[in-house]
Amino acid sequence: MLDELDEYLRGDSALSREYQRECVPPPHALDRQILKSAGSDSRKSQCLAPLAFAASVFLSVALVLAMLFGPQAAKKLDAAPHVVRVQYSSVRRTPTVWLADIAALRRAGRAAEADAEMRRFRSVYPKYVIPDDE
Amino acid sequence: MLAAMNSLDDDAGLMLRYRHGDAVAFATLYARYKGPLYRYLLRQVRNAAAAADLFQEVWSHLVAARARYEPRAKFATFLFSIAHNCAMDFFRRDAKSRHAIQGVDAEPQREAEVPEHERPDRVAEFGEQQSALLAAIASLPQEQREVFLLREETGLSVEEIARITDVPLETAKSRLRYAIRKLKKSLSAAQDIQALPLRTYA
Repeated sequence: MLDELDEYLRGDSALSREYQRECVPPPHALDRQILKSAGSDSRKSQCLAPLAFAASVFLSVALVLAMLFGPQAAKKLDAAPHVVRVQYSSVRRTPTVWLADIAALRRAGRAAEADAEMRRFRSVYPKYVIPDDE
Repeated sequence: MLAAMNSLDDDAGLMLRYRHGDAVAFATLYARYKGPLYRYLLRQVRNAAAAADLFQEVWSHLVAARARYEPRAKFATFLFSIAHNCAMDFFRRDAKSRHAIQGVDAEPQREAEVPEHERPDRVAEFGEQQSALLAAIASLPQEQREVFLLREETGLSVEEIARITDVPLETAKSRLRYAIRKLKKSLSAAQDIQALPLRTYA
């Protein structure tokens, strides 16, 4: 047996028939206003669509060209040595390491370079006592 | 109720066409749904001026949301979900303004306790041209009124109405059952009154 909800949901109830007689349309002024705004909005978007497409293509091409040939690309090429140079100059060697480097230069017969390194060493560590074998 | 509301592909197709800039597709959708949507809003908020504002607001939201539209559900579900949200915002704003009035001035508190859309003068203004059925609908609690209006105006299933109103299916069913019971009762009472013989005073 159907309850009153099922009966109503089957459709064509007296209640629905009565309700459907109460048909009120929206005011015509609203029709005009809404259709006008929806139409102008869609026309605007239609006009802008090709422009937006062209702009996105232009930006994509410009981005690719900038990556390939732009100043960032040039920087990248010499980026590695530059970084190494900075790192190298900024490293402060310990006296032991530095003296070992100087000794290596002397062993290699590069006396002038070893003397120059020693002068630099002394300017940095003036009071450092150098062992006799250095 | 519009038969066209049951054609998922047709309405969704029109909306997709509008999404791609076809203003004629929008005009067709508007012609199909303007009546049901307007009546739903008018009978929900029971205030012609507020209903007109909300009507425009719903269509504006639809226009703004067209780029994101995906036909996952019936178009009617999509449209009336927007309408439900707008109506709920209206009720919330209305409740807030009542609280604001109460905070500013204690004297008109008694009047302010009644929501703007339920004030006797407003209801009377809305009810001047209405039948016994519309008066009975207007007197239903808002939640029951809404499910009944959605069912009558859209022909959507109770499942879809539950989705629009964001409640469990059983809640939507129960609200609709109560609404029908009350409306039937009110209608039969009104018919009994009409059936009474007119008393003449000589």
